[in-house]
Amino acid sequence: MADIADILASVSGGPSIPQSTLDLQALTRAWVNERTAPELLPYPGELVDRIMQRIATQIEAIEMMNATADPSANFKLVIVQTELERFKFLVRSLLRARIAKIDAYPHHTLAMSQTSPANLSHLESQYLHHHQHLLSSHYHTAFLSSFPQGLRKLDDTAGGISMVDKPDEDTAVFCRILRDAGQVEIQGEQGVGVVELHRGDIWVLRWRDVREGVERGDIELI
Amino acid sequence: MALPLPPGLTPSEVGFLCEMELVTVIPRQRLESLELLGGPTQPLNPPFPVPLPLWLALLLKRQRRANIQPPAWLNVPSLTQILEFETAETTAAVFSPPPGLPPPTSTAEEEASYLASETLELSTPFLKDTHTSRAQADALPYHWLELSHLVLTHAGDDVEDADAVRRLLRDLREVRMSKLRKGFRVLESGAGLQINGVGGMEVAEVRGFVGGVVDGLRKIGRSREEARREREAEEQENGFGSSSYRDEDDDDMQL
Repeated sequence: MADIADILASVSGGPSIPQSTLDLQALTRAWVNERTAPELLPYPGELVDRIMQRIATQIEAIEMMNATADPSANFKLVIVQTELERFKFLVRSLLRARIAKIDAYPHHTLAMSQTSPANLSHLESQYLHHHQHLLSSHYHTAFLSSFPQGLRKLDDTAGGISMVDKPDEDTAVFCRILRDAGQVEIQGEQGVGVVELHRGDIWVLRWRDVREGVERGDIELI
Repeated sequence: MALPLPPGLTPSEVGFLCEMELVTVIPRQRLESLELLGGPTQPLNPPFPVPLPLWLALLLKRQRRANIQPPAWLNVPSLTQILEFETAETTAAVFSPPPGLPPPTSTAEEEASYLASETLELSTPFLKDTHTSRAQADALPYHWLELSHLVLTHAGDDVEDADAVRRLLRDLREVRMSKLRKGFRVLESGAGLQINGVGGMEVAEVRGFVGGVVDGLRKIGRSREEARREREAEEQENGFGSSSYRDEDDDDMQL
C-alpha cells in the first residue's frame, strides 16, 4: 500500500512547497542564526510581520473552534494550539536573543543603527534609544556631573582605547554551507590557508569570514 | 526580557529543532487535513502512511492514535553497517558521510534582503525524506541522535528489536564522540575545522569546548597574527615602494 502512495506522489510531481512552510524554514533559520551569531543580524521585518499576522488569524480560528465547543474538535484544538505555542516560542526566542545583543552592546548598536537602520526593527530602536537616554541621564545625575568636563562621555574613543564595547567578530561559529560559497582564508599556526566551501559541508570558521555568506543565504549557522 | 542564555543552541533547543523533522506515521484513525501555521498537514487515512512532523507524530502516538514507522536507517542492519564504517581503520579520521543532498534549488541574489523567500535554500529540518521510512538507509542524518532518542523513548514498541538498536546507537555515539575529540588535536587559533557528517546534538555538546579553545588560542596568538599581517602589508608596500625606488634610480641615471 505504501508503494501505491509512493507512485501517486511521484506521478503528481510533488506539490510545490507552500509559502507558510517556507516562512517556517526562514523563521527557524533566523532563530538559529541569531542564537549562534556573536553579532546582531539584520531584522527580518517582512517575515516577522507575515508570521505575526498568521498567528493572529490562527488565534481567532482557535477562539471560533472554542466557541462551537464541539467535543470531536477537541483533539484538533490540541494540535493547533500546540503548533501555535511552538511558533510563539520561535518568535519570542528570536526577539529575546536580539534584545540580549542590543543590551550587551548598546553604543555599538546605536552607531550601527545610524549607518544601516534596517538592522533594527522600529520597536527595537525605540527601546534602545529610550533605554540609553534613561541610563545616561541617570548616570549624569548620580555621579557623572561631579566628574571633570572631559571625563563625562560614555562613548569616548580618545586615547587609543574605545569605551564602546563591540562583539568579537573573530568568534568561531559552526556553520553549514547551503550553496557553494567560494573560498575563505583561514589563519593557521603556520600562516594563511585557503579552503573551498562546498554545499553540505560543515565548518568551524570565524564569524568575520562567513558573515556575508549568512546574510546572502549561502551559509547557515548551526 | 533579554534572553539570559549564551550564544549557541542548548540541547533542549536542538531537540526542539529535531521535532520539526518529518517522520512517517501510520494512522490508526481518521483525521482531516489541518491548517497549521507551518502549512497544511496531510489528511490521515488509515492505514496509509503519511509524513508528519515529529512533534505531531509523538502527540498522536501518545494518545494511541497512530504508530510511528521508524526512519529507514533506524534498524539493526543499517546501524551495524554504519558502525562498521565508523570503526574501520581506513576511515578512522572521518565521520560516516551524511545523506546525499539534492542540488540547490535557488541562487543568491545581490539585491535580495536577508532571508528573502526567493533565495531561501531549504536545509534540515525541512529537507524531504531524511527521517522518514523512505530516507537513505546507509547514512546518518543531522538529527540522528535526537530523533532516535525521542522515537525510542516515546515509541519504543514501534521499533523492531529496540534494545539492539539502542545498543548500536550508544556504540555509534561513543565512537563518533571519540573521533570528534581526536579532531580537536588539530584545532588551531584560526578555526577552520571541517566536520562533515556531524550531528546536531554532537555540535551542541562540543560547541562550548571547541569555541572556547579556538577563541582562547586566537587571543594567545593574536600578537603573532597581527605581526604577520603587518609584515604582509609591509611586504606589499615594499613591493610598491621598490618600484618607486627604481623610478628614483632612473632619475639618478638621467642625471
